[in-house]
Amino acid sequence: MLSNFLSRTIHRTRLPDYRLQAGTDAAVAPPDALAQSGIRPESLPRHVAVVPDGNRRWAQARGLLTPDGHEVGRRALEHTMEVDYLMGMIERTIRENVDEYERRENGIRVHVIGDPSRWPESLQKTAREAEEKTRNNSKLHLMLATCYSGRWELVQACRALAHKVQGNLLRPEDIDESMLAGELQTSAAAGEFSCPDLVIRTSGEQRLSNFLLWQSAYSELYFTDTLWPDFGEAEYLQALSSFQSRERRFGQRTA
Amino acid sequence: MKSVFSLCVQMSRPSIILKFILGLLWGIIHLAISLFNLWSLLIYNIECYLISSGLLWKYRDLHLDRLKYLAIVVASKEAKNNMKIRQLLCWLSTIGVKYVCLYDIEGILKKSFEPAMNGLRDGKAGEYLDIGASVNYSHCGHKEMVIEWLSGSDGKEGIAKAANLLCSTYFSENTHGNGKREPTFTEADMASALKAVGCGGPEPDLLLMYGPARCHLGFPAWRLRYTEIMHMGPLKSMKYGAIVKALYNFSKKYQNYGKLGFQL
Repeated sequence: MLSNFLSRTIHRTRLPDYRLQAGTDAAVAPPDALAQSGIRPESLPRHVAVVPDGNRRWAQARGLLTPDGHEVGRRALEHTMEVDYLMGMIERTIRENVDEYERRENGIRVHVIGDPSRWPESLQKTAREAEEKTRNNSKLHLMLATCYSGRWELVQACRALAHKVQGNLLRPEDIDESMLAGELQTSAAAGEFSCPDLVIRTSGEQRLSNFLLWQSAYSELYFTDTLWPDFGEAEYLQALSSFQSRERRFGQRTA
Repeated sequence: MKSVFSLCVQMSRPSIILKFILGLLWGIIHLAISLFNLWSLLIYNIECYLISSGLLWKYRDLHLDRLKYLAIVVASKEAKNNMKIRQLLCWLSTIGVKYVCLYDIEGILKKSFEPAMNGLRDGKAGEYLDIGASVNYSHCGHKEMVIEWLSGSDGKEGIAKAANLLCSTYFSENTHGNGKREPTFTEADMASALKAVGCGGPEPDLLLMYGPARCHLGFPAWRLRYTEIMHMGPLKSMKYGAIVKALYNFSKKYQNYGKLGFQL
């Protein structure tokens, strides 16, 4: 089974314009918290990847839907239901917010990555529509990864290269790192920003769990004990502050 | 159209006493932060010392059954410190770690250590690891340890080589075979191709990162799927107690690999 957690990749293509917009009363201002927390806007990460983990434990800690550890069969059934629920949730999130994403002042571009053959047809349709509607936006790039696995992504990149070999567009011996990187879903979606500067994983787990394996080579890894439902602005600012306080000397980055 | 008016109010110069109080307050805040940092460092060092001395009972009996394979990532700048690397290997051998993989992106470790250990290569280990060397550190302990040396060329470059091999095989089969079939590569095919180009190997259970930045610096991506990752700080200030603590914390970790499993 491919990773069934919902992974959210938030990709900042450029910082918002903080000046007053012509003809508007309000400024698109940075959150006060950013200014107060001593975070330098000029050295914010361009691409932040998030593994939003800990939903089950959060619910369990509050006495919500506590599964019986001994009922393996029921557990498997709940797992299937949970995957269906997550798929539906992603679909609802996209459908309910796509109009807001499309508005010029928000300027959010949406991409859904992962194995589409494992998505329900309705999600495939919703994802295509959202991508089409928001493709000209450039303020913030939001990538949602579902039924996604880093290994699967590398294998499908190989398949894409094999198709090019089949069509005589490429010789096998010409395949190199950059060609392989160019066939990854994140490259198609985010181009030069496909590699995250910062990877945040919530809930105290300290592993990538098959998420962005290739792309995270030089990513700053930030693990926090906070469960995803409790992860708010303060925790995010803490992650940014931690990112800025660390020494980063990798020279030229490759894809 | 809205106009914004700003009123500049000339403030009276604060008295010398007020200036002194503010300066004192600022100094106290700085002192408090410095003392807190110093206290944290002191606690950490004391804990490491107590672990090393065997005075903290819970760290005395490490259960390393789940730690089949340990990976160490060292920043290239620090990989030049041969003495520290030897000491690290010595400590790991003493602790009872059986398989270790050392990685730095520039291959400094590979160049420095692998040639010296070629004479000690173990046939069985070589089958299990692509670059295996069975090393017995007589002065460190009695335990035998298999070591694998990796560099950046075993990472992304290795995956590109494997893709090259897969596509070459596919191309030759399509050229000489009957009709054109779809490329249906699987993860197993990729794993086999990586092994064939000399970049395969087991997945580490735990990866310890030594260096200033908290990143794995291009450690072979294919092998990092469910690896626990811990940052250990600079190599020059590594401590035996810190390694023991990291291994202890790992032994207490629970992974459900995305399934609805709970530790009861």
